Amino acid sequence: MEDFLYEVVEITQTIWDGVLFGSTYALIGIGFTLIFGAMGKLNMAYAGAAIAGAYVGLAVSMFLDAPIIFVFAVSALVSTLMGYIVYQTCFRFIPTHNHLAALMASVGGLFLIDEVIVLATRGSPMNFPGLFEDAYFELGPFGIRGDLLFVFFIGIVSTVVLLYVLFKTRLGMATRAVAQQDVAAQLCGINIHRTNSITFSIAGLLGGIAGAMTAAAVGVLSPVMTVPLTIKGLIVTVIGGLGSIPGAIIAGLFVGAFENFFLYIRGIDERDMYVVALLFIFLVFRPNGIFSKTITRD
Amino acid sequence: MKNISKLIGASLLLIALSIPQSAIYAGPTLKVLGWGAKSGPLKSFGVNSEAALRSAVAEINSAGGVRMGDGSMAPMEVIGYEDSACKKDEAIAILRKTASTTDAIVGMGTTCSGVCQAMFGVLQKKVEDTSDSGVQMPILADTCIRPGLAKISEWSFRNVPNEITMYDELFKWIRTAYPNVKTFTGGSETDQGHSFITYTAIIVQMAVKHGFEWVGPAVPELGPKVKQGMKELQAAAKSQHWLMGDTNYTVQARKIKKQNADMVLVASHPFSACGFMKEMKRQRVKPKLLVGLTSSASQETLNGCMSAAEGIIIPTGFAPITPEAKKANSIVSKAGGFLDLHSSAAWENAYLVKRAVERAAIMGRPDTLQQDRRNFRNALASISSQKGLIGPLTRDGSTGEADKPYVYVQVVNGKWKVIHDPNS
Repeated sequence: MEDFLYEVVEITQTIWDGVLFGSTYALIGIGFTLIFGAMGKLNMAYAGAAIAGAYVGLAVSMFLDAPIIFVFAVSALVSTLMGYIVYQTCFRFIPTHNHLAALMASVGGLFLIDEVIVLATRGSPMNFPGLFEDAYFELGPFGIRGDLLFVFFIGIVSTVVLLYVLFKTRLGMATRAVAQQDVAAQLCGINIHRTNSITFSIAGLLGGIAGAMTAAAVGVLSPVMTVPLTIKGLIVTVIGGLGSIPGAIIAGLFVGAFENFFLYIRGIDERDMYVVALLFIFLVFRPNGIFSKTITRD
Repeated sequence: MKNISKLIGASLLLIALSIPQSAIYAGPTLKVLGWGAKSGPLKSFGVNSEAALRSAVAEINSAGGVRMGDGSMAPMEVIGYEDSACKKDEAIAILRKTASTTDAIVGMGTTCSGVCQAMFGVLQKKVEDTSDSGVQMPILADTCIRPGLAKISEWSFRNVPNEITMYDELFKWIRTAYPNVKTFTGGSETDQGHSFITYTAIIVQMAVKHGFEWVGPAVPELGPKVKQGMKELQAAAKSQHWLMGDTNYTVQARKIKKQNADMVLVASHPFSACGFMKEMKRQRVKPKLLVGLTSSASQETLNGCMSAAEGIIIPTGFAPITPEAKKANSIVSKAGGFLDLHSSAAWENAYLVKRAVERAAIMGRPDTLQQDRRNFRNALASISSQKGLIGPLTRDGSTGEADKPYVYVQVVNGKWKVIHDPNS
């Protein structure tokens, strides 16, 4: 009985930790899904740009000996700019119907960003200041990381703000119009490229926050983080439903919990296998994502 | 006329300055070619090793160069330092290209164990075996520390401490230096061969050998011999390991916290070691002692998690504890590199090459290249002891295993400090 209770406590804690950590995946997933929702394309350079923003934020704050909030502000600003640059270089001049070319261009963007980071840092991990690093609440047998609660909170706030922008502002209306029918939107006087540029910049802003939050949650920035975060972001986006912002949030939290649970019961070697299996299950049985009421098939 | 003379003089000076030294020198040169990770997350390995190799070669040349087979002194020349990116296929391609298209007498690289294992595999196994069409090119690696690599080919050499002895002696010393440490547990990154194999085949067993009690998941097969209970340990402790690119270490740190060990082993490269140690700190895991993997005794660990790593003890093949080591450290720093256990081996390797060349009577001519490589290999194999930066480098001729001296360092007040020198 004691062993059973111990396992219940440990599994509960594991799932809870995973849910909280999943908020970083959710933030990355929102960026992927926002761009897909607007353009119907995947921006593979997104997580790379998010981590690059965090690097620049860290570098500037080290240079100026600035407080931690400055790191986050600079990260967000730089990633906003990078979002714009990625759009201009990887998407702007590629024909709309050529999805593969844009995808490959953004994959190139990811590796380019990765190599620039490696070049600038020699691949060395960098200490990243934590938010509420000492806030660790112990409630009986359970422990809760205060910084992850904050990331969770930021994830919720970001979603609310994003949904407000998308559904209550002219910019959001324009973005949705371009996403739904770009030719009709253009005929209504909406500048498609301007709208897409702004969408990429907003996604970049979110990415900057996500990159800095992830780095703060780990406590270390390293170029080895970009590819795993890209993969997790893509999984979250697919499970949440391509283009669904609430779906990305829920899927992020779910994937975080799911992978932690399987790490606990099956170990590190099998953890990612179950996460990928989950992706396949969704692709086969719910290809339109977690909240979709319809299933689109050929 | 005066202006024309000045112009001609300046032009001649410019031309003279733009000609490489090796081009001015008409006699034979001793050519070597290096490679290592110059891109990707392990870029620091290649950057530091290249800086160390080139600096050491410059030092050798400024002291007169190397004595060739005809009695003349010739400069040593690093004809290139290629980027193998710590990838097996890249390193093998560079090895083949170097052997067939360059007149380098020896290939100097690389650092990563997995890459060396693959690369050594394409070399001819036995020098005398004419039926083996493997590549006949001597390779002198800096580090490649995983046990057993030296015996893959008679053309492969490395400059590295014996990891089994290193951890054996470490735990023997900890037993006396930290008498209140009795129990231990730990974790490793499973996707990095050196980290995981060394942890599950050597480090844990050596700790058991010296009387420390394993309090991780039950592994009845665990014993004091190398590899004893390795597979069972890998299976039993699978939930307290991680991958190098992981961002979440909550499960592993919590498991280790529950085990309440006096000593925690963190067998991982700096990237994930830092993430894991920071998570331990957050979860208030406070072991009496932290012990790390030799690959983490580097500046990267301090860059990534100076505070979380405070107190960690790691055995390493380099520390600036001798006048030679201090001098080399200073020279390499000025060249934009950092001397650590990996790159210090690259520095020492340049001197090993000089010694082997002078012993082998190398001619350094295009028509003698293949014979020079063979003679060089034989000479290198015959060197059983050579002065290194912190002590003598030795090599067991029968097994081919190198044995480089090592010291124990600890992060004290945010800096690496030598806390014990087993040779002193």
